[in-house]
Amino acid sequence: MATLPLYIILSSADRDKLQLASMIASVAAVSERPVHVFVSMGAIKVFDKSANGNDRYGDSAFNAELCDKNAPDPIEMFSQGKMLGDMTMWACSMVLDVLGWDESHLVEDLFDGQMGLTKFLSDAEEGQLMSM
Amino acid sequence: MSERKIIDARGSFCPGPLMELIAALKLMEVGGECEILSTDQGTAKDVPEWCEKVGHETVESGEKDGHWYVVVRKAK
Repeated sequence: MATLPLYIILSSADRDKLQLASMIASVAAVSERPVHVFVSMGAIKVFDKSANGNDRYGDSAFNAELCDKNAPDPIEMFSQGKMLGDMTMWACSMVLDVLGWDESHLVEDLFDGQMGLTKFLSDAEEGQLMSM
Repeated sequence: MSERKIIDARGSFCPGPLMELIAALKLMEVGGECEILSTDQGTAKDVPEWCEKVGHETVESGEKDGHWYVVVRKAK
């Protein structure tokens, strides 16, 4: 049986949620499951290429522990998923419009481009969708 | 005799050991073996599960000296 593609919508800048999302995305991608990530709302600011280290993440219940133990950075894990597996990342065109950003504001070599929600949801009809 | 590479991922959090293993396997010839060392207990089940899913072979796994190890043979 063919593996269903996984579609993930990120809307939060919380480290906890992004940590888990990046783990799910990278492990699925290297397990021969296509993964497509759509980054919207507050989550997009985490991918601002001018942001620094852990300061890019919002505070969350588990953030201090993740930082203290030097857990792998979510952005690095998304990058690993792309490098080692079948994964695409898309920036929400609406939030880029709201912020007055274009793709050049975002962490380099991570995004495949920008996309509208309608197209992403339409694509996701053929797979499983989760939102974090 | 086939090549065996040891990857010391002790101290790396999940899914770091799996990612390190996959990166090493990509550079290896079919038939080569990787032994991953990990202090993450989940590795002992995660790696064999991944092998079964993607078509590589788990040669052996276990615990020794306070860490877990899994030997994987690249099958494709």
